[in-house]
Amino acid sequence: MSRYLARRLGQSLLTVFLTVSTVFVLVRLAPGDPAAAYAGPTATSADLARIREEFGLGEPLITQYGIFLRDLLTGDLGTSYSFHSSALDVVLERMPYTITLSVAAIAVTVAVAVPLGVWMARRADTKRELGANVLTIAGQSMPDFWTGVMLLTVFAVLLPVLPASGFTSWSGLILPTVTVAILQLALVSRLVRREMTTALASPYITVARSRGVSERALTWRYALANSAVPLVTAVGTRFAALLNGVVVVEVVFGWPGVGSLVVRALETRDYPLIQATVLVTATLAILVQLLVDLAYPLLDPRVRLGKAA
Amino acid sequence: MAEDASPLLEVEDLQIELVTHRGVVRAVDGVSFTVGQGETVTLIGESGSGKSTTAMGVLRLLPEGLAVLSGTARVGGEDVVADPEAARRVRGRTVSLIPQDPMTALSPVHTIGRQLGDALRLRHPGLSRAEARERGTRLLDQVRISEPGTRWKTYPHQFSGGMLQRILIAIALAAEPRLLVADEPTSALDATVQAGVLDLLLDLQERTGVGMLMITHDLGVARLVSDRIHVMKEGRFVESGPAERIVERPTHPYTRTLLAAVPALGPWDEDGLADHTPLGAAR
Repeated sequence: MSRYLARRLGQSLLTVFLTVSTVFVLVRLAPGDPAAAYAGPTATSADLARIREEFGLGEPLITQYGIFLRDLLTGDLGTSYSFHSSALDVVLERMPYTITLSVAAIAVTVAVAVPLGVWMARRADTKRELGANVLTIAGQSMPDFWTGVMLLTVFAVLLPVLPASGFTSWSGLILPTVTVAILQLALVSRLVRREMTTALASPYITVARSRGVSERALTWRYALANSAVPLVTAVGTRFAALLNGVVVVEVVFGWPGVGSLVVRALETRDYPLIQATVLVTATLAILVQLLVDLAYPLLDPRVRLGKAA
Repeated sequence: MAEDASPLLEVEDLQIELVTHRGVVRAVDGVSFTVGQGETVTLIGESGSGKSTTAMGVLRLLPEGLAVLSGTARVGGEDVVADPEAARRVRGRTVSLIPQDPMTALSPVHTIGRQLGDALRLRHPGLSRAEARERGTRLLDQVRISEPGTRWKTYPHQFSGGMLQRILIAIALAAEPRLLVADEPTSALDATVQAGVLDLLLDLQERTGVGMLMITHDLGVARLVSDRIHVMKEGRFVESGPAERIVERPTHPYTRTLLAAVPALGPWDEDGLADHTPLGAAR
């Protein structure tokens, strides 16, 4: 187990390293000049040269990369051009908001999608199930900015019961959470439905039914426990994706998370800030995946104890 | 026979139609039979003859909506064809199933003890976990699982097919059933293991007097365990009678074909399980 953990941690570190390196190169290959974005339209070429010098952008790419790696080892991800403070600090300041939104959204998704998927599996191929499918797929197919704007219009403008933007009170969490959850609902509920349909058709369910186990216990105890591994995998993957920032939803609701931060960082070509964001979110996403992997042995004894007798 | 006056299982003109993607198929076409206390009745036939469908129909374990039943099937006096709720009442109390493939018949993520304990607590709702465990280990011991106490917390994948089938028999017995439906209980097992499982079933029957509906395609198994045999083909019984008569003097050509398909049937007493064969002969 400890060897497995060490190997997985090694792999994770390598993945983070490759991700930040790729992003380092890509942002510099992308069109746009941080100095121009920083100085504004009235800057002279002398200003730009001075700013480039200040940001260390005059050096050859390989030298910049070397400096970046050297600083990375000491935990220094550079100074954000637009915030004039440590890029890592700026990202870490925003991270709790994104984590809060992600946790809330995934919790709502699971709380709705699991019962819904189970319900669909029990009524597989009926008209009502089709209706539920159409609704969830419609939810997934709507662009998130549109869903967000519609929810805002209804609940913040027409019936002003919820705040329109920002995070000044916990009620501000509701609309962005619902918007994100609507996007995830179809995917997760259909996965639950598929896994549960397979599980409910398994011989062990028929045999358990033959010994008088109630339909409720068959569904919630037997079939759901046997569907846990694919469900946890899917939910973990969705959660990891949410941690990378729900860009559009954060912008629509003025949510102060890393999603809206990354938009600003890209607009201003704030290289250190982009790199810090990628480093933090990639690390978190990989950690979540690692936790999911570590959950498998807990969920399935065949993984824990090996296949052989 | 006295048992026939109030049979544990009484099937009359049972018809089962299955809805398949190729249309409606009449899998069982008007069969009638009874199983009395302490008696073993075998339905034998090749794949697709409707024998397993009959057994599953009697337990109402066919997919709801995809199987249409008519006729009557009384389990312990309750007609499960007329009333699906009756089937729920008798399952796990009056009747238990021993399934075909032991390797897939238990939930892979729950321990043996959990599944056996659940079966016991369904039968005796007042039982505490500790009491269920105590009874369960005794049952495991009865089906000749060694070290039942330590095996309680193990998972199905840690057992061989033969051991799992014994565990499933223990789970079936947890219901203290009057009738066992054994759906090809040995066909997924090795020949040597088969003999052990059949031996165990006969032994348990002798001790508890449970009635048994045996489904098999194997005449060797049928003649070993049965009092009566119904030969099934295309949803109908083509020949019925005492086991010995069917095996020794088959009248229907199909039965003869089945017999001819069995490689070298030895005389009755040459079998390793000969001790138990008088079960049929004694009555």
